Amino acid sequence: MSRRKPGRAMAWLVFSATAATLSGCALPPVQAWEKGELARPDMLMQADPLETKFNEHIYASKEAASGGSGVGGGGCGCN
Amino acid sequence: MDKIRNTPPAGKALLAAAMLLPGVAAHAETPPERAAVSVKYLYYKEDQPGLDRIKVHSPAVSVLAPIAGEWSIAGSVTMDDVSGASPRYHTAISGASRMDDLRKAGDVSVTRYFPRGTVSVGAAFSTEHDYRSRALSLQGTYASEDKNTTWALGIGGSDDSINPVNNIVTDEGRQTVNVLAGVTQVLTPLDVAQLTFTHSRGHGYYSDPYKLVDNRPRERNQSTALMQWNHRFVDYGGTSRLSYRYYRDNFGVSAHTLGAEYVQSLANGWTVTPSVRLYSQRAADFYFDPVYDARLGAPFPPGYVFGGSAFSSADQRLSGFGAVTVGFKVARQIDRDWSVDLKLERYEQRGSWRVFGSGSPGLDPMRAVSVQLGVTRLW
Repeated sequence: MSRRKPGRAMAWLVFSATAATLSGCALPPVQAWEKGELARPDMLMQADPLETKFNEHIYASKEAASGGSGVGGGGCGCN
Repeated sequence: MDKIRNTPPAGKALLAAAMLLPGVAAHAETPPERAAVSVKYLYYKEDQPGLDRIKVHSPAVSVLAPIAGEWSIAGSVTMDDVSGASPRYHTAISGASRMDDLRKAGDVSVTRYFPRGTVSVGAAFSTEHDYRSRALSLQGTYASEDKNTTWALGIGGSDDSINPVNNIVTDEGRQTVNVLAGVTQVLTPLDVAQLTFTHSRGHGYYSDPYKLVDNRPRERNQSTALMQWNHRFVDYGGTSRLSYRYYRDNFGVSAHTLGAEYVQSLANGWTVTPSVRLYSQRAADFYFDPVYDARLGAPFPPGYVFGGSAFSSADQRLSGFGAVTVGFKVARQIDRDWSVDLKLERYEQRGSWRVFGSGSPGLDPMRAVSVQLGVTRLW
């Protein structure tokens, strides 16, 4: 089996993602009193943790890719 | 029903449904103001042409509670009642294994909140007749002074033991260590984005003991990059939630996942959320198409040597394919304390739907439907 090195696509992805994220620094900083909308439950990255858990593990059972949003998840025999 | 106690894909996945610790939530740098108890019920069913595959009934309960103003505790338990059939190679209907089983899983995590950060420790456990998993994790977040940028670091480990009922192996196991690094950035009063990298290194038994001619490497290293972007449409009372994940591993699999959902608020506490998810993966290096050895026949790949050490798998999940999910969720905030939600999803995967290359030929499409019903009570 060949051990693959991170390819060009990955490098570009990392670069563009980092750039996109850091570009936030160039925007005017959002003040504390402007964060009302950001505090909404549907603006959270995990709006419904139980639904997220169900979905992640259903997909882990049907597809080769898994993970991405956390650490410490238990293993399963599904892949 | 012939109760050969197999370990089907959906069931195994759901077994661990309660096992993921809470992820690195954006701007969750303060303890929850109120305790929450959620109960969810999942019904899941998958099939392919001519074969009903796995069905799962899965109730789950989660609890999140603030403690003494600076701490919180979160936990969940899940039970999966799994039954149905699973092909032993490719999408072959003949000889599909049947099973009927009950699985239990639980997790707990404790978080300490500081003025500009959090530290969380978590543990997870699951058990079933032929598989047991234990996991620990430690995560921390640290925010900039204006709290517009939050960095996250995490490390976790798991120790699994495997004793398949067909005794093809005994007392096998796998150990995994995974790390996470992420950043969440408030971009505008209406935009927040998150970038998360994870890497996992594992060794042990990765073959599927219930699939034929399945021999996988004893090492699996996986990497992901996940981008999420939430935007609030104030004028329309809606929120868009977009995500992209890139995945690759040392099996030769690479995958792209694009997710989009739109949460629309309506009158009287109702919200509706249509969603779509697009997925595509490259086949593992050792996956072989359903073309069999001329002498031995199915399920043996051409040139197969009994007792040989060559890696091989006829598992549909390691083939090249694309998949589409469409979903629709309806939720209602009944009053200050109670809310209910219902989500319907339909999923289909096909070899011909792979993007950035041709998918694996000769497999039947796989389809699934799921229903999630939930109730949440706040105190």
